[in-house]
Amino acid sequence: MDEQLAQARAGNLAAFGTLVQAHKRSVYSLALRMLGQPDLAEDTAQEVFMQLHANLRSIESSEHLGFWLRRVTTHRVIDYLRQRPSVAITSLDEEAEQIGSVDSGDPLLQRQLRQLILGLSPDARAVVTLRFQEDLDPLDIARTLNMPINTVKSHLKRSLDLMRQRIGQSS
Amino acid sequence: MTDDLESKLRDALRPAAPRENFEERLMARIAAAQRDPVKRRGAFTPTPATWWFSAAMAATVILAVGVQHHRVDQENREKGLEARRQVMQALRVTNDKLDLAYRAVRDQSGAIGGDPGA
Repeated sequence: MDEQLAQARAGNLAAFGTLVQAHKRSVYSLALRMLGQPDLAEDTAQEVFMQLHANLRSIESSEHLGFWLRRVTTHRVIDYLRQRPSVAITSLDEEAEQIGSVDSGDPLLQRQLRQLILGLSPDARAVVTLRFQEDLDPLDIARTLNMPINTVKSHLKRSLDLMRQRIGQSS
Repeated sequence: MTDDLESKLRDALRPAAPRENFEERLMARIAAAQRDPVKRRGAFTPTPATWWFSAAMAATVILAVGVQHHRVDQENREKGLEARRQVMQALRVTNDKLDLAYRAVRDQSGAIGGDPGA
């Protein structure tokens, strides 16, 4: 991957395409889970990769590339959500009321959990998505979001408590 | 329960794939942006050269204001010193005149006081 990165930095568009291929699911899914809208998530992912292409020289390694993509994606989405609070930011209570009871069937439960995440604040959405989609530990999440680690832990605990409470209420 | 919820969250947040032509659309956008970099930027975004030019202009303005302020300050200080010098000069002249007057009065008093004994 570092070789592909070096070639992409040298201007090889095919090598850049390989990097996109390797990271597109992660970037798109981060945006999708935080925004809840596939079209918007795709636009965001495209913008992130456009930004990557313009900043390839600043990418030092494949690890740095993954960190950079997660950081830029989450910050872009958080900024977007803060500028347009009506997009999908609703309180967890409202969200839970909208979705009704949580079924015990797995596909439905997964959908309900994703809806519950969309009811969280932008920062909490990012924390939960990075934790359970990207499998980052709290320290890496803190670095990615430029956030104190105690704030990350607090977001995680409160979000899980709220989701557990909602699921428990509906079961 | 915690582990159960966390594993369910991992299932719910499994990465999803964008539409199939994602790369094609992206490459088309990059190619278009490379053909027309101004259009890609859309709004004005400063290049390093324009940033440095702006910073240099700002520094020049700040420096000019500082120099002007220093000059006005210096002029005021010189005016103050000149005024002080003039006051001191006036006091000195007044003092000399008073001294002369005092001597004249004293000499005159001495002359008057000396007559009876003559």
